Amino acid sequence: MLDSLLTPSTSSHMQTSATTFDHKDFLNHIFASAPWPSVDETHAPQPPPSDVFVDSRNQQIMMMPLSSHHQNDNVDGSSAHALYSGFSATGSRPFHIPQGSGGGPMHQQGQTQRQPQQQASASTDTGGTAVSPSQSRTKVRARRGQATDPHSIAERLRRERIAERMKALQELVPNGNKTDKASMLDEIIDYVKFLQLQVKVLSMSRLGGAAYVSSQSSEAGGSHGSASSAVAGGNQPTGNSNDGLTMTEHQVAKLMEEDMGSAMQYLQGKGLCLMPISLATAISTATSHTRNSLIPGAGDVGGRPSSSNLSGKTVQTMNTLKLNSNGNCMAEGSSSIAVKEAVSISKP
Amino acid sequence: MASANKPINTDVPEKDVFALHFLQSLSNLRRQNTFNSPEKTNDRVKKIKKVAYVSMARAAGGTNRLWSRALLRRAAKENNKVVRFPRRKKRVTCLRRRRSNRRDPVEEEEAERLRNLVPGGGGMEISKLMEETAHYIKCLSMQVKVMQCLVDGLAPK
Repeated sequence: MLDSLLTPSTSSHMQTSATTFDHKDFLNHIFASAPWPSVDETHAPQPPPSDVFVDSRNQQIMMMPLSSHHQNDNVDGSSAHALYSGFSATGSRPFHIPQGSGGGPMHQQGQTQRQPQQQASASTDTGGTAVSPSQSRTKVRARRGQATDPHSIAERLRRERIAERMKALQELVPNGNKTDKASMLDEIIDYVKFLQLQVKVLSMSRLGGAAYVSSQSSEAGGSHGSASSAVAGGNQPTGNSNDGLTMTEHQVAKLMEEDMGSAMQYLQGKGLCLMPISLATAISTATSHTRNSLIPGAGDVGGRPSSSNLSGKTVQTMNTLKLNSNGNCMAEGSSSIAVKEAVSISKP
Repeated sequence: MASANKPINTDVPEKDVFALHFLQSLSNLRRQNTFNSPEKTNDRVKKIKKVAYVSMARAAGGTNRLWSRALLRRAAKENNKVVRFPRRKKRVTCLRRRRSNRRDPVEEEEAERLRNLVPGGGGMEISKLMEETAHYIKCLSMQVKVMQCLVDGLAPK
């Protein structure tokens, strides 16, 4: 099984027998094929045909250079070093000497070899110096200056995995150029909240309701990402909303006479809110100049979707829509219930 | 920390799959009698939102992903339906993390927030959680794109 593992597809002919081992040869192969991380990059995205690879584990090994390529600054030299010191210690080696581009998978196999060995010999391993099990696997020898403690190795592996995943997430989230892990996590969390809010708002607009609902959703959604819909939606609100709002106003007034709850529900369904006049005027004066920047700002694809910003904007658009049509804003004491609807981002 | 370092698979189906699932569930929703009443828009909103999430979970891989399983399970519980999921091959075992589990307090707090957002994130540890988050983000953005296209297509000019 080891043989099949160690046969890269590019050099299937390089099967030397496992009797003697020459350090120098091995090192020459590894360091002569110097740019093997980049070589692997061409291979990794498209795994070679699997006629040589026997099982899926091989493909994983072949794919690994892509993921570890990001970490090649701290992984390459150290693991090559680790392999070397490991071989020098035991003097036995089960590896075949692969060719140049196989040097990448070669050292990766060293790493993946470490883990199953760790699993198997977890109970018998006494800090990496115990006699290797009868299966003649390589002895794990961490790099110099590091503990050979299996826990710290596991620790390191775990950190590497987390870093790897963090990189993948960084590409997904816009504005993911933060190097700090904590702020990156903040960005991720905000982005997830933002996407969930978008789904919620879009599902409100699916009612095929008034135009201002859909324009509002396109504005809210357009503050990040989809520029076209934002620009298109940005032109709508002033035209349609005025008529729609007067009608809504009458409707709500009628409903309020019967039952406050249904009036609230109606408003919520329209995506509007009720707020005290003082708050409304404060918001409108504060944002009358920023509202103009909403629409051209929405055209910018790299907008930052912080949740507080977004909910603030949604409140603004709703509010300014309300205020534009009628000077006397509908206000009822201290009821600002539906503001929560926009601001709170609840679990779906 | 005994599992092998497999590359992460965060592939997500094309937009068509998502669109198909969503439209199917929307048409199912329309057939319900209680749906098309003009009042109670709030309920309609909630139903549509739930349908959006469920169709997204189905499109994204059904029960193969932790978050979609959790989502579907939660949705079914609301409907009081009994769901049966096929047993997965490997279970998430916390037993394997021995003392090598370093709890970084800052990290853990953020991870807690993430766990609250991503469905099914309660029992996972950080690396798995991040993998699920990546897939979840991809699916969410795909779903948003689909819904946005629908809205744009149907909006009055």
